[in-house]
Amino acid sequence: MANHDSHAEIKNPGSFDAPASIKGALVVMAVLGLAAFAGGLATDAKRAWASFLMNHFYFFSLALGGMFFAAIQWLTGAMWSAPLRRVSEAFTSYLPFVVVTFIVLCFGLKLMYIWTDPAVVASDAMIRLKSSYLNTGFFVVRNLVALALLIFFTWKMVGNSIAQDATKDVRFTLSNRRLAPAFIAFFALLYSMASVDQIMSLEPMWYSTMFGVYCFAGLFYQVLAATCLLTIYLHSTGKLKGLVNDNHLHDLGKFMLAFTVFYAYIGFSQFMLYWYANIPEETAYYMHRMTSGWMPVSIFLLAGKFGVPFFALLPRDAKRNVKTLTWVGIFMLIANWIDVMWMVQPSFFPDGPRFSWIELGTSVGFLGIFGLFVVRFLARHNVVAIGDPRLAESVLHHHQ
Amino acid sequence: MIGPQGNKKSLGGIIGYFDTPDELVTAMKDVRDARYERFDAFTPFPVHGLDAAQGLRRSPIPYITFIAGLTGGSLGFLLQYWTSAVDWPLIVAGKPFNSWPAFIPVTFELTILFAGLATAGAMLAFNGLPNHRRKAFDPGLTRDKFAIVIESPEVESKAPGRFKRFEESEVADFLRKLGAKDVAPVYHEAWF
Repeated sequence: MANHDSHAEIKNPGSFDAPASIKGALVVMAVLGLAAFAGGLATDAKRAWASFLMNHFYFFSLALGGMFFAAIQWLTGAMWSAPLRRVSEAFTSYLPFVVVTFIVLCFGLKLMYIWTDPAVVASDAMIRLKSSYLNTGFFVVRNLVALALLIFFTWKMVGNSIAQDATKDVRFTLSNRRLAPAFIAFFALLYSMASVDQIMSLEPMWYSTMFGVYCFAGLFYQVLAATCLLTIYLHSTGKLKGLVNDNHLHDLGKFMLAFTVFYAYIGFSQFMLYWYANIPEETAYYMHRMTSGWMPVSIFLLAGKFGVPFFALLPRDAKRNVKTLTWVGIFMLIANWIDVMWMVQPSFFPDGPRFSWIELGTSVGFLGIFGLFVVRFLARHNVVAIGDPRLAESVLHHHQ
Repeated sequence: MIGPQGNKKSLGGIIGYFDTPDELVTAMKDVRDARYERFDAFTPFPVHGLDAAQGLRRSPIPYITFIAGLTGGSLGFLLQYWTSAVDWPLIVAGKPFNSWPAFIPVTFELTILFAGLATAGAMLAFNGLPNHRRKAFDPGLTRDKFAIVIESPEVESKAPGRFKRFEESEVADFLRKLGAKDVAPVYHEAWF
């Protein structure tokens, strides 16, 4: 229905100052996390580093995913997502901190990656052949360069988006539209590299050409869920009133459903080829994930990470229901966390998953720090990209 | 259903033309509330909000798609299970007879095939297509005209109490009152 209000001025909701209780809780979580990680290092260093690595990667993916979501909106000139884009941009505020977590990670390389051990390199011909790529110096340098490039794009593009709030100048949108394809090309290359380097090289004898795509499927899966949850939260505080309606949530829900299927498709494609060909060096990765305490986790990834959101989000009404979306969103965030755990931990503990205060504490700490960055971003900037030329059309978003 | 009934020139309904989609949607709400048994809208392009104005319920097609998809997936899996593990067990690549990962691609494809065909079939069935009886059509309705047709019941109404009676002159006045720019009767054998 053509609406005559479409040119009316939209009221700027301004920035969002999180309640003190949330800020306090996040600070407590961050402190608890630091304590848990320090305590873990003192009692069981291997477990502490394993949980540090998986949370480093999980929140790196979440921050970068926020940038990816925003970039595809600019690239495609999407209208529907205009009031949601700033929410995903908020996640990118954590990205510079990934440099810190990566540098901390470098202190644990020796305990995590067997290719850092000169004795292993000397005795194993396969690892020796890979050592021109898998060596500590190159590993650290290329990952830092990759982070710098990704942060540069984020700084440019999110910077454009924020600058547009004040001037409403359409040139910022055009500038981001030019940057978006370059960012996505770099993103594909560098995120694949990061996942291969930081996760896949935990088991350097094994390789998968789909590993980067598998991690990307998880990245988008979790960032859609996180965007949905933060949107619902901001809407419940009244900040997005009149800006976000059921149709925006419906579209996010469709995205979540689609990338649940995409995840299953990629995960199964990677698994099936190795299972079918049955070549020892290729099946090693799945062997200890299918024959030990990891088997229930593997089944959870199929039945839970895929099955639950798929059937939960199939009905139209579920995608328009705040309560359903909230529960499915939380489930998806946890499911992807379990997936990252499933990728990282088996190389440390082939007999089964480890989960107690070290893992829980470290994760809570990362969540606290991530939350503090997001809260700070939301307190400093408008919760909606008020200068976006497509916003006026999008707040009336309607479809059947 | 409007269709040819011998040579008798029988009244199919009354059509009212509107110039803009907004006028159409506004008028449609009143037509809906007037509780005629059969009425429909004709527009050159999809008009947002018209479904609600017309009081249309959600289509049952998604449920058919879902059930057909489940059926296709189950049949696809069972076919492979029965052929390779029950009816003619063969050892392939040293794998178990019931090698479910190998069955997934076909299961997936049959899910899509059944769901897709059932959706297309259900869409045709619910729309009463293909329809070779409605022939002529006002070409203006594919360009710049928007219309509401209030149809006269072909047979005696099944539930006469629930609907408003169709009276030719009354319906024409009603459409004019709603702002129709042009009101005309529609006949069965040659539409419009």
